[in-house]
Amino acid sequence: MDWVVQALNGLSMAALLFFLASGFTLSFGLTRVANMAHGVFYLLGGYLGLSAFKVTGSFWLALVVGGAGTIAVSYLCERYLIRRTGENELAQVLLTVGIVYVIADIALFIWGGDSLTIPPPAFAEGPMDLPGGMVYPKYRLLLIVFGVIVGGLLWFLYKRTQLGAIVRAGVDNREMVNAIGINIVRLFGLIFSLAAFLAGMSGVVGGAFIGLYPGAEWEILILALVVVIVGGMGSLGGAILGSLIVGLVDSYGRWLFPELAHFMVFGPMAILLLFRPSGLFGREA
Amino acid sequence: MGSRILFVVMIILALLAPQVLDVFWVNTLIQILCLGLLALSVDLLLGQTGIFPFGQGAFFAVAAYTVAILQVRLGQPTYLAAPAGLAAAVILALVYGLAVRTSGVYFLLVTMAMGHIVWGVSVRWVALSGGDNGIGNIPYPQIGSFVIKGASPYYYVVLTVVVLCMLGYRVLIRSPFGVTLRGIRESESRMRALGYSVGAHKYVAFLISGALAGLAGVLYVYFNRLVSPSTASLHVSVEAALMVIIGGSGTIFGPFIGSAVILILRNYVSGHLVQWMTVMGLVFIVTVLWAPDGLLGLVRRIRIKESGRLRQKGSRRA
Amino acid sequence: MTENAIEVADLTKSFGGVHAVDGVSMKVPCGERRAIIGPNGAGKTTFFNCVTGRLIPNSGKIFIFGKEVTRLAEHQRVAMGIGRTFQITNIFPKLTVLENILLAVQGTKRQKWVFHRSITSFAESQARATEELNRVGLAHRVSHTVQHLSYGERRQLEFALALACRPRLLLLDEPASGLSPGERQRIAEIISQLPRHITIILIEHDMSVAFGLADQVAVLHRGSIIFEGTPDQVQANSQVREVYFGDV
Repeated sequence: MDWVVQALNGLSMAALLFFLASGFTLSFGLTRVANMAHGVFYLLGGYLGLSAFKVTGSFWLALVVGGAGTIAVSYLCERYLIRRTGENELAQVLLTVGIVYVIADIALFIWGGDSLTIPPPAFAEGPMDLPGGMVYPKYRLLLIVFGVIVGGLLWFLYKRTQLGAIVRAGVDNREMVNAIGINIVRLFGLIFSLAAFLAGMSGVVGGAFIGLYPGAEWEILILALVVVIVGGMGSLGGAILGSLIVGLVDSYGRWLFPELAHFMVFGPMAILLLFRPSGLFGREA
Repeated sequence: MGSRILFVVMIILALLAPQVLDVFWVNTLIQILCLGLLALSVDLLLGQTGIFPFGQGAFFAVAAYTVAILQVRLGQPTYLAAPAGLAAAVILALVYGLAVRTSGVYFLLVTMAMGHIVWGVSVRWVALSGGDNGIGNIPYPQIGSFVIKGASPYYYVVLTVVVLCMLGYRVLIRSPFGVTLRGIRESESRMRALGYSVGAHKYVAFLISGALAGLAGVLYVYFNRLVSPSTASLHVSVEAALMVIIGGSGTIFGPFIGSAVILILRNYVSGHLVQWMTVMGLVFIVTVLWAPDGLLGLVRRIRIKESGRLRQKGSRRA
Repeated sequence: MTENAIEVADLTKSFGGVHAVDGVSMKVPCGERRAIIGPNGAGKTTFFNCVTGRLIPNSGKIFIFGKEVTRLAEHQRVAMGIGRTFQITNIFPKLTVLENILLAVQGTKRQKWVFHRSITSFAESQARATEELNRVGLAHRVSHTVQHLSYGERRQLEFALALACRPRLLLLDEPASGLSPGERQRIAEIISQLPRHITIILIEHDMSVAFGLADQVAVLHRGSIIFEGTPDQVQANSQVREVYFGDV
């Protein structure tokens, strides 16, 4: 029985990871910018959502405000800061780290240092009875369902729409897309915004699950990075598979070997990186 | 010639410092030296070899924890614990060095993850590391019956070690090995076409860098007399990188200048301003966008402009 | 027994569906001067990259000085005595001219692992470096950073790097590209004055340089060799003329 509970834990974690990793992998795959601020966008989205919830009492509004607020901040960063770094990967990493420090500190000032959560909507509260006499939090089950829905939507967008085709082409060959005459700057901006929205939204959704606290911006970033590295940069399928692997390994790892929990996730990742740097589905770097 | 005079002047100032400054500033100087050495270890890879590590804190922390465990838990003397700390860092570097098989952003992410593993172990393996509380009450370093107690004496110990490291580093970067690293930084493909095993050189550079970071950790732990998971946190590695960028990458003094800037910001500004992390972040952003060569780079640019102007004046006179 | 400098058997290298090198076989005896010509995209640079080990071929075998090197790493092949120039100048921009040459000189020596002595203290390497710089006429730029060199000077340095390790086999990828006529003349002279025991394989677009220096010419088109012969034979061959000049 416990095994099933842990599997559900892993799957719900995987859903959250997928929200974070999918944005990052598409963003990095297309723009080649490793945006370290992705983790702090989670936090920002969650905090903004929390404030919206406190004012209105609506979880759905919190979701919207969290996502939209994050897009706004992300846009400002991209337009006025990140764009200045051109193609200098090193500078991008350092710059976005600086942005993390600033946003995280301001967030600390506004929302304080305690771990905060957003209460889930009424219909999602409480436990649910599952076959076999098991009881499991409704919210986590809904998270899994939500993950599947978002995953399906993204997959559809990515594989079946023209926009998705352009993004896929861009991931494969950036210069080519530019040459065809597509406004690459606007495309990049769009992807950045999508990634920020997913991150901010997962802050609201994950806030009810993991919580919002100073330091989360780094922990979340690293988890998302592990997923993206395992799955392969720029691959949506890789993000799905990577999330599942990392979520389940993390869950079972914490349960079976609590002292080595971190190593369980990062060890295989580091080893994978050394022998297949492009990840499971990534193209050769 | 000018830089040699400057170096001597700095040594003299450094030697006199404890006589004129109060304990707070002497302690700050010790921190500047220790973390500057950590930053130097980053720059050996970043400025010289062209690869960006984001997890040097791992070696720093492993060395510190080893010293702490040996002295506090196992009651070992300094002359065993300190070298053991250094050795532990080198052993970790032998394993983590495999990271050089990746490059660019991937190398950054792998080293970041590797650093995070050390942090994770320090938090969760409570029996070994003391968990969140860490290991405290680390005794003063003692050689034979000679105890190094107090800020000033320890300052001189640290200063000596760091100056020796800087001199050794200088020899290293002027040697064939050092020039090889810079060649790798400039063009790996060219180096391979000239017969160099690029991977082997990077690996050795990584080992040396890990050793330097470990040495910095050993020096730091006797100063701080406490080691905790924060010693292994990402912040330490990020700050080290920031110090390199602010001071000037590819130089010997740069990492230490950067260290001074960051520590003065942290120790002094944080006492007056709650939002000092925001200031730190802004310094980061400003440096990356407008002074990517760091303070030493700015100095160099000013000097070039000056000498250009002088040359123009000279030619006009002729 | 005189072995061949290079022997390539049925070499193929594809990218996706494109066969950049398509079943190429070639034998170059020691001491020969061979030119490889062909229109853009014929696969000449890809061929070089397979020979030196920068690319791993999909199929085929490569022998250098009689030893099979098909799976050998690039730096290990170079240690057998290969010097190479790149079509797009590939030198060390932020290092001085002297450092550039010294790196080339010490590339196959144990010296590169020394970390306790200054690089300038190795007299033999310094002498060799000075010699090479004199040969290409860059001695006066010895302490300048490459970034401050003109394009022509950089090509000359590229060439000097290839010669600095006293190679037995020289692979020159369009050494004269982008140079002024005077600079081309100089490069051609240097190549023709190289000792005869050095095998030289030359990719060139400039016909006068290629035909002036070569004993044998191989014509590559769409990854395959369509003709091999002396410069005169190549110039007279109608198929080559059609491919290259597009006329009769």
